[in-house]
Amino acid sequence: MNEHSVDETNNAQEQEEHKVEDPELRRLLVPNPEDLPLTPPSSVEANFVSYFAPDFMKPGHDQYIYRHANGLCVIGLAPTHVAFKDEGGITTIDFNVGKSDRSGIKVTGKRKKNAQHLESNSALCKVCSKDATYIVRCCVKGSLLEVNDRLIKQPELLNSAADREGYIAIIMPKPADWLKVKDSLLGLEEYKKLREV
Amino acid sequence: MPSDTEEASQPTVNGDNVRALCDVVRELPICAVIDLLSIGVCTRCILRLFGIREHVYYRSSLSPSMLSSVLGDSTCSEKHMVDGNFRELVVCSICLGILQFTCYEDKKLVTEKESANELAVSISSLIRQQGFEIDSFSLEVSIPPIVLENDHTVWLYMKRKYESELWFQGKSISECISAKDALKISLMESLETMLGCKSNISAFRIRLTYTHCISSKTVENSVEGCHGGKRRKTGAGNGLNTVDDDIKCSGLPIEAGAVVERSFVSLQANESSECLKLPLGQSNEPCCLEFLCYRTQIYVGGRYLKYSRNVSQTCWIIDDERMGEASVEEILGSNILPLCRGDNYKFHAAGREDIDVRMLGSGRPFLLEIQNARYIPSEESVNFLETKINNLEKKLVGVKNLKLVGSQSWELMREGEAEKQKQYTALVWISRPLKDEDLQSISSLEDMHILQRTPIRVLHRRSPLEREKIIHWMRIERIVGSSQYFLLHLCTQAGTYIKEFIHGDLGRTQPSIGSILTCRAEILRLDVTDVKMECFLTE
Repeated sequence: MNEHSVDETNNAQEQEEHKVEDPELRRLLVPNPEDLPLTPPSSVEANFVSYFAPDFMKPGHDQYIYRHANGLCVIGLAPTHVAFKDEGGITTIDFNVGKSDRSGIKVTGKRKKNAQHLESNSALCKVCSKDATYIVRCCVKGSLLEVNDRLIKQPELLNSAADREGYIAIIMPKPADWLKVKDSLLGLEEYKKLREV
Repeated sequence: MPSDTEEASQPTVNGDNVRALCDVVRELPICAVIDLLSIGVCTRCILRLFGIREHVYYRSSLSPSMLSSVLGDSTCSEKHMVDGNFRELVVCSICLGILQFTCYEDKKLVTEKESANELAVSISSLIRQQGFEIDSFSLEVSIPPIVLENDHTVWLYMKRKYESELWFQGKSISECISAKDALKISLMESLETMLGCKSNISAFRIRLTYTHCISSKTVENSVEGCHGGKRRKTGAGNGLNTVDDDIKCSGLPIEAGAVVERSFVSLQANESSECLKLPLGQSNEPCCLEFLCYRTQIYVGGRYLKYSRNVSQTCWIIDDERMGEASVEEILGSNILPLCRGDNYKFHAAGREDIDVRMLGSGRPFLLEIQNARYIPSEESVNFLETKINNLEKKLVGVKNLKLVGSQSWELMREGEAEKQKQYTALVWISRPLKDEDLQSISSLEDMHILQRTPIRVLHRRSPLEREKIIHWMRIERIVGSSQYFLLHLCTQAGTYIKEFIHGDLGRTQPSIGSILTCRAEILRLDVTDVKMECFLTE
């Protein structure tokens, strides 16, 4: 009993310090600052390949598709999307498009039960600025796994971090469908060249 | 087993055995013995039918002529039968040669007139040939169902004939020794002597499988005869299924017994008919014997360290392409397997880390299951192996507290695997210089609950869910010479996705280090520094 409480005290002290004492472990953990890049690649840059669909169905409707190595595609608004040019940027987002509310469907299970199968021109949502409403589309044919419903309460994320927390949706295309659509999309360099950014 | 240990020289022992056997045979109802002999029942089967269990009587066998002389001395009224009706015994009509040690091995007929000795010799030479080092063994015997059926048939035959006689009163078939047990009784002493160890409930198994070409058919036929009784699959012809069934109920042939029980019923039902005809006169085909030895799995446990970000935990091959240069599984397996001289290994661990994550500090508990080990390594040799693994040329993987463990370690390792805490060190970059307040604000967070959606990187194969996880504590350690890089030490509940907790996974993990520090946070490296489990912590 006594021994046990001593142990606990030791643990408590350890927890208080949480210092790595073992010199061998420290040597392995602490990097040489000279080896570190000034700015490391972001997790999006490191884990996704960026594609762009400029003027998708309408002029200025520029969207991005970030494709993960596992095949999933994150869909969002490219920085050159016409909506950002409106005064005050985007103010609201609405996942009610036509017959269905994209944010109301709960996809479940490994097999992604309930996922909607969308075409590349299917509407994902509407984004509204003070002056206008724009339809955001899938860009790739596939199953809709999730929409970023956080945007309903925080639409400002679209203006501040459209390429990260302001993503619109995650689509899982079939490999064959991806190959078909891939050629119609621009790579990052082509996109930059086109938009002169 | 009676501890009958006559340490006399071999010939004397044999002489004594034969004498003892003669004595015991003389005490049996002579007429019944003669009757059984005349229908082709071997000596050992006669002994077991009369419930004689002492192994001394099973050591030697009596040839029919010897038996006849034994019985000839007696005063049986049917003396004339003794000389007249004894055929030179070929294959016993009940055990089909099993207790006569006459059977096919590798399609060659082997006759071992003497005793179990020769079979014991073959078994022990196989064990040596395969390189097993053993300190105990257990014997598994599988016998074709027809032998049990024969037992019943002969018992019924005796019952009908001798029911009225005094010696038969109160006798029941349950007093008979099964052929399986009689075989074990016959073999055990020789085996124990030759192998230099005792029979026991052992991880080392000797398995004798007897099959008979007509066995299953006969049983099926007689079962079919019993008015549409639901027939259990008895392995049409090849006898393989039958073997499996018998093995499962090793020792007690419940399954096979059930079949025989039914055929027994059918026999009773047809008692007046020809059903009771014994396979007399026909020359019985001996059984086929296959024997093999194996050791049930042994476990080597410990904790492993993974020093490389290009080594996976288990062998990981996608489309014929290996991921990483090696795996913990293969490095440990290929080093431990040769020591135990097993056939194969299986790797089990308490959780896992990504290929690009190192496992340092305490290491992670693992078990290596070795199949059919020929050798159980000593503590010294296991310690020596640990040193060897830790000094491999490529220092990709290390081990701690390597030792031979029991199968209960399996539960120990699985126990609490889900709740255990894990400690990590992450190399983090943030999009602004680190401030002193950040160190305080981070370390002030204790047992913080976070919500994690299934990370995008695994969302393709896992269910989309939001899971709550606990970050028990965090500490920031500055890196000298850098303002935006730091080490984050953190302790979390098992199952927390650390990388996502740092960068936020597009806001899908909340809060994240980025959201707490209100800037962009990126993770460059991750190491597991402690898996907080009792398992294999000490030597």
